[in-house]
Amino acid sequence: MRIIVCAKHVFDSTEVRFNEDTKELLTVNVPVKISDYDRNALEAAVALKEAGDDVTVEVIMSGGQAALKTLKEAVAMGADKGYLLEGGWETAFDPMLSMRVLARAIEAIGGADLVLCGLVSEDGYNGLTPPAVAELLGVPYLAPVVNLSADDDTVTATMDLGDVLQTVRAPFPCVLGIDSSMNVPRLPTVLQVMKVKSDRVATLSLEDLGLPATALATEFSTVTLDRLESGAAPRKALIIEGSPEEAVPSLVTALEREGVLA
Amino acid sequence: MSPRIVVAGYDARGTGAAAAVAREMADSIGGAVDVVVLVPSAIPGTVEAFVEEAGLAGRAERVVAYELPPGHAYSGVTVADALVDAAAGNDVSAVVLADGPFAREAAARTAVRLDGACASMCSTVEAVAGNLVSVTRPAYGGVALAHLTLKASPAVVVLAPGGASAGTATGGAAPAVERKALTVSEVAGRVTVLDETPVVKTCDLEHAKVVVSVGRGFAKPADLEIIDDLVGLLDAEVGCSRPIAEDFKWLAKEHLVGLTGATVTPDLYLALGISGQVQHLAGIKGAKIVAAVNSDGRSPILKNADYALVGDLYKVVPALTEHLRKRKANGGAGG
Repeated sequence: MRIIVCAKHVFDSTEVRFNEDTKELLTVNVPVKISDYDRNALEAAVALKEAGDDVTVEVIMSGGQAALKTLKEAVAMGADKGYLLEGGWETAFDPMLSMRVLARAIEAIGGADLVLCGLVSEDGYNGLTPPAVAELLGVPYLAPVVNLSADDDTVTATMDLGDVLQTVRAPFPCVLGIDSSMNVPRLPTVLQVMKVKSDRVATLSLEDLGLPATALATEFSTVTLDRLESGAAPRKALIIEGSPEEAVPSLVTALEREGVLA
Repeated sequence: MSPRIVVAGYDARGTGAAAAVAREMADSIGGAVDVVVLVPSAIPGTVEAFVEEAGLAGRAERVVAYELPPGHAYSGVTVADALVDAAAGNDVSAVVLADGPFAREAAARTAVRLDGACASMCSTVEAVAGNLVSVTRPAYGGVALAHLTLKASPAVVVLAPGGASAGTATGGAAPAVERKALTVSEVAGRVTVLDETPVVKTCDLEHAKVVVSVGRGFAKPADLEIIDDLVGLLDAEVGCSRPIAEDFKWLAKEHLVGLTGATVTPDLYLALGISGQVQHLAGIKGAKIVAAVNSDGRSPILKNADYALVGDLYKVVPALTEHLRKRKANGGAGG
């Protein structure tokens, strides 16, 4: 069985801030990482590899040369090989563009029986690229997957649809969106990451994928980012001082005045 | 040919909310609204009862009820099949979906097939000149709000979960109902449903008037007990931040509030030991008042709450519980 995991190199979303003056996201000195949900997808792939015979796991990492260390970390989780997407990953807002790049990359490295993706990405939270890849490849998309097993040619997955847990079976090939509740991703040690030799990572350029950068910017681009504004809701931000005995009555009085206590 | 907005939702409530958004878009460009429904699996009663429940009178000109062939169910593929069929031969400027099971898959597949653009978690959607659609949606987990123009047409948009309220039905002419057999894509037939287990819901965060929410400030799962009396006194639902549901798994995911969980709109949101990461804050934007208790004076929740107590929640929660208990015994306000 061949598994490809699509993963994304992102800034740690808990550290990114918004600059009200420049209307830009502040990412200088912000730590980078594998997008959280993609780690769940990697863990699911490695678990399938450990459970079966003759299973290979390959990772396609979006994020350019800056993502090399992140890719090595992903490979160190237990993948056989990693591919760095040199271009085509720059926008978090255009899943129709991202899916073309990913679908081409999947085909370029020989296709897969199962393509595992995080349900959403940490920067975009679209949840659209994986099903779009499935549509382009003409295969089923199963998500959000909370339980997963596979044999030689079929996958059995349980999906959490909110009001019902639905278990389905589908033949290969398939694209799966892995829910974060499915597993606890392993954390590779620094030594394991260092031991990932350079012959286990390769670069895929846009030329390799037959997608010239100019075409991506024009004919495949479907979205324009016009501007950003702060995502914070305006709040009063009043700090109530004092010991619990002093502060609690003040809080309750304030909440009564707001009319939010029955 | 007048431009059309095509709508789909998982249930009557979502469909009504999506239709309300579509109506405004259509009115601004002189267009019409078509609503797609799948029968029989998606609708318990008749199509007419669904139209009534979703409040589609005045919101949609046409409802197309697609009959699923035997053995097929509501899925991302079958919804996309219906949307693409409804769009065929029409000048479609946008497709609007309520968020819910299969919504993003249906949206993505529809956008790929119609060669359009696609966006999810949209809090606003507007039709602008020349078949363009502009939307707002979160960037980087809600740190910022992005204003996007979807320049490929049609724009396929999924509304933010809980973000669009159905409002009150405007009344007006009932839509014409058409029935059609759905031609299902081959790929839908590859998936076999083996089992369906209903999930028993123990909370209803979306409709709660008061939410008491817990975060990493609690040291161990047994400690969550200290909020029980408080929750009872406030008649609250229990929410939590991501680490509690996803990392530690102390509470079921149905309690998760935030970008990947519930979007809540209570009168009072009481955040206990929650640091206030943007993904969490994105889910509580609609709360009337946010109150927070946190021991870390630099925690982001303090700037993102209306009232905040900097202190040890293990001391504040019992004190607050006791105070509210006395207040209740004294007959409410002023206690």
